[in-house]
Amino acid sequence: MSQINLTIDGKSVAVEPGATVLEAARRAGVAVPTICDHKDLSPYGACRMCIVEIEGVRGFPTSCTTPAAEGMQVRTASPELESLRKRTMELMLSGHPNSCLVCPHREACESMRPKATKAGRSTRCGFCSNKEECDIRTMALEAGSRDLNLPTLYAAHNLERGDPFMDRDYNLCILCARCWRICEKIHGKPAISIINRGKDARVGTAFHKSHVHSGCTFCGSCIDICPTGTLTDRFARWYGKPDAKTPSACLLCPEGCALIAQTHSGKLVAATMTAFQSEASLCALGRFGMAQIVNASTRLLRPAIRENDEAFTVDWDTALDSAANGLKQHAGRVGILISAATTREERHLYARLAAGLNGRFAVVPTLPVDPLPAGQGTPLPEWLADIQSGKITALILGGDFLERELARSLDFLLVIDGLPVRVQDQADVVLPAALLAESAGTLRTAAGQIRSLARISRAPGQAKSEWEILRDIGQKLDIAEMHFDTLQDVTAAITDDAPPASFPGRPRQDVFSLPATYRGHLLADIIPALSAFGLPTTYDPSQEVQPTEGFELLEIRELVPNMHLLRIHAPQVAAHAKPGQFVILMARETSERAPFTLADWDAATGSITLIIEEVGRSSRELISLSQGARLAHVSGPLGQAFPVERKGTVVLGGGCYGIGAILPLARALKEAGNRVISVIEGSSAYLLYWEDKIRAVSDELRIATKDGTRGTYGGVQEVFQEIREREEDQGAAINMIVAVGCTFMMRMVSELTKPWDVSTFVALNPIMVDGTGMCGACRVSIHDETKFACIDGPFFDAHGVDWDELACRRGAYAREEVEALPQTVDLNTLMFPETAKQGCGCGG
Amino acid sequence: MATTQRTKIAKLDMTEIFENHGRSRDNLIPLLQEIQEHLDYLPPEAISRVADHLGLSENDVYGVATFYAQFRFHPPGRHRIKVCQGTACHVRGGGMVLDAISRKIGIVPGETSPDGNFSLERVACFGSCALPPVVVVDDTVYGRMTARKTEKLIEGLE
Ligand code: SF4
Ligand code: SF4
Ligand code: SF4
Ligand code: FES
Ligand code: FES
Repeated sequence: MSQINLTIDGKSVAVEPGATVLEAARRAGVAVPTICDHKDLSPYGACRMCIVEIEGVRGFPTSCTTPAAEGMQVRTASPELESLRKRTMELMLSGHPNSCLVCPHREACESMRPKATKAGRSTRCGFCSNKEECDIRTMALEAGSRDLNLPTLYAAHNLERGDPFMDRDYNLCILCARCWRICEKIHGKPAISIINRGKDARVGTAFHKSHVHSGCTFCGSCIDICPTGTLTDRFARWYGKPDAKTPSACLLCPEGCALIAQTHSGKLVAATMTAFQSEASLCALGRFGMAQIVNASTRLLRPAIRENDEAFTVDWDTALDSAANGLKQHAGRVGILISAATTREERHLYARLAAGLNGRFAVVPTLPVDPLPAGQGTPLPEWLADIQSGKITALILGGDFLERELARSLDFLLVIDGLPVRVQDQADVVLPAALLAESAGTLRTAAGQIRSLARISRAPGQAKSEWEILRDIGQKLDIAEMHFDTLQDVTAAITDDAPPASFPGRPRQDVFSLPATYRGHLLADIIPALSAFGLPTTYDPSQEVQPTEGFELLEIRELVPNMHLLRIHAPQVAAHAKPGQFVILMARETSERAPFTLADWDAATGSITLIIEEVGRSSRELISLSQGARLAHVSGPLGQAFPVERKGTVVLGGGCYGIGAILPLARALKEAGNRVISVIEGSSAYLLYWEDKIRAVSDELRIATKDGTRGTYGGVQEVFQEIREREEDQGAAINMIVAVGCTFMMRMVSELTKPWDVSTFVALNPIMVDGTGMCGACRVSIHDETKFACIDGPFFDAHGVDWDELACRRGAYAREEVEALPQTVDLNTLMFPETAKQGCGCGG
Repeated sequence: MATTQRTKIAKLDMTEIFENHGRSRDNLIPLLQEIQEHLDYLPPEAISRVADHLGLSENDVYGVATFYAQFRFHPPGRHRIKVCQGTACHVRGGGMVLDAISRKIGIVPGETSPDGNFSLERVACFGSCALPPVVVVDDTVYGRMTARKTEKLIEGLE
């Protein structure tokens, strides 16, 4: 059949039979808003955003599901369509956190903090890791979101963070079913489905099983196709939108899958499929694991040598000299043992090195869990036994393949790897290698195809590409066959490499047959989450000493979404605490020090209460603790107490965690004889807490919400303005203002009250690190004088603060914090109590 | 012990049911219905066998099953409490009665109490619209219920 001719908004267009009206519109260059439609999915017709009018057809058909027909006259825009689409969007967004979309301060807020906060729950766009690439948000903003009628019905689903690699927050789900449809398209039998009906409908698994047991392969395509922040990559989400995407391949098993490397600031953060198709799917290791390997905190950073039983780091040249000298002395008795997870170029150079040294050479294959004996073991070459008999006296080790016992019989051991090996301290020379996406090269898949690897991730420390290391060693040894100028020359020299044996598992179909090792290292040791798939690990959680000393966590609960109350036994702090002071917490000995304002305390029982918002690494670790746990450190009370004096009328403003922080201030100021007006701010009504407590210690309590769902529409500053006008009308005045909340809120308050000439205080503790004045992270300029928030503060004269400087400092610190994140491997596997109970088997 | 027994019967009966149905997707609902008729509910094992039989994912079968109010996923309790949520009952406080029972036994509609004593269901209309709101316990109809009266009723059953 020939083409079909139709008109869209008056433009004639011709399409192939079977094309939809939506496709025809796109062909005609007419943009139709869509949500559930996706180019890689078949039409679904769920969202109703793509409705059109068709001459002679009743109602408003969805263009994504309507086949184009000869002579059709389609209209994509009209007042009716406009208003229907608006209704659709209102319906969709009312079940989705939307306060940032309607907030009167959105533009100012976003210009000051363009990146999303690293919150546990996204209760607004400003907290959502999807913010920078969210279609829903773009569409709502384009439609004039402030004109939308958007009540928020927060569903309060539990966060699903008990599975490896993915965080799921169905409170953001708009039920477009893209995730389920892509899962079905790629795997045939989807690991998820739309379950329940009506208002209870949601995406889920049969009987709420964890994904580990629902048939999920952890291919990540649902994450990559979800238009909202519902489904996220637990590791990559902290970095925000990747800034580069480069085609490359995976070296982790002989399948050698093609992939798209996602990088941020020159670091690999994830690898995604080249297309949303079954054949292109990746296994959990390729999708999520690779980024965690290259970012592992245990990476080898500097070349080192050992002399007289003492190891020290040296420069590359010295290290290469030592390596070459050692090998030269043992020529004819050298063994080379490397991993199959290397590039063709690397293997080729190793082979030439072996030939040049007249030595033995073996490549250890990568295997899944099953063929291995429990816990350990990789098929090793028989010639290794020659080490004992003294026929082999020197070894080049390219992975964790050697037992300590055997290493003792060697005269010379050279380790070339990116991660520490068991025989690390027995090595004479250690050369840090770039791994995976950190060096270029080619691989041959088990199917025989040759694929290129892009060098797109910065190697840590001084680590170097393995092919360069080998070439340099070859040069030092005067092996002419190893003289290459460029990597391309090496590639060109490879003529006869056979494809590797195929992998005896189906990692892309079965998450329980993933490779167990990478270069001989147990993968579950590098990425603990993998133990959920039965991968062996030397880590034994039962060996973990549960601290019995330290500060007992008496109570922990989520007061409102993302805001947690922690009550801790800390009698010393409780005995000496004064309003306005803070404490520094460390969940474990190894944790970062994190400051929190004292929200309440009770000297009699020796307990202190803190309100902790989950917005980053330390808070995430703290709120993952359960009642009865012990915190390694609670130091305080720290900082200067708030100067509580009788001033007259005092107005207090608290937002987010600051609501808790103003309670002791209100109480003390009222006791001192002031008239206290407290104002609390939340993004939306459901995020307000402690209203009663604060009302009880205030003369008046006022409320502000950024979406207008309660009290004044806006923030504390709008209420301050109202109060000031009212007081002035009555011939009264405000004598003092105190604001505690995020930097943005405090800055807005400062700017508002500056012309009023009312003394205004803000608490600058969100910027501290160590709380002793040692680290300097909390340096602030107050009236051009340098102060330390931790010892001179936390309260300062708002009008003296150099807000721009503060913003820069916070920006710089935020980056460091993200860099620091992957260092704490356990954060990626943090088990949360509610999900742990469902038994996902992650070793929690 | 009751549950073990039931599961045993389940296995026997299910084989027969499967033999009587082909493997096309059209059999999904009839299969689920018949299994529920025999077992009074759909245990996880039944869902996964249906999925295997029809070549579907158990997540999809569960998705379809949870779409229909008629399917249950918990064995019925010794006392089956059904609360009418039809229009007549609804306007006379059927929702409040349901909430009160829910709080009293600590389960939501569709669940069975851990001790196996009660299960709670929400029903569209019993046809006793003259007596709203209506609660049915083990085939006995109680009309003009209030939260207080239902609590009493449950205490009597315990
Ligand atoms: S998904 Fe995230 S960015 Fe998009 S509208 Fe929702 S909260 Fe905002
Ligand atoms: S990760 Fe892949 S297999 Fe798992 S639910 Fe998502 S799409 Fe399905
Ligand atoms: S999780 Fe994401 S992709 Fe799936 S239905 Fe919800 S919004 Fe759509
Ligand atoms: S895009 Fe057509 S209904 Fe969603
Ligand atoms: S917190 Fe580091 S110097 Fe103050």
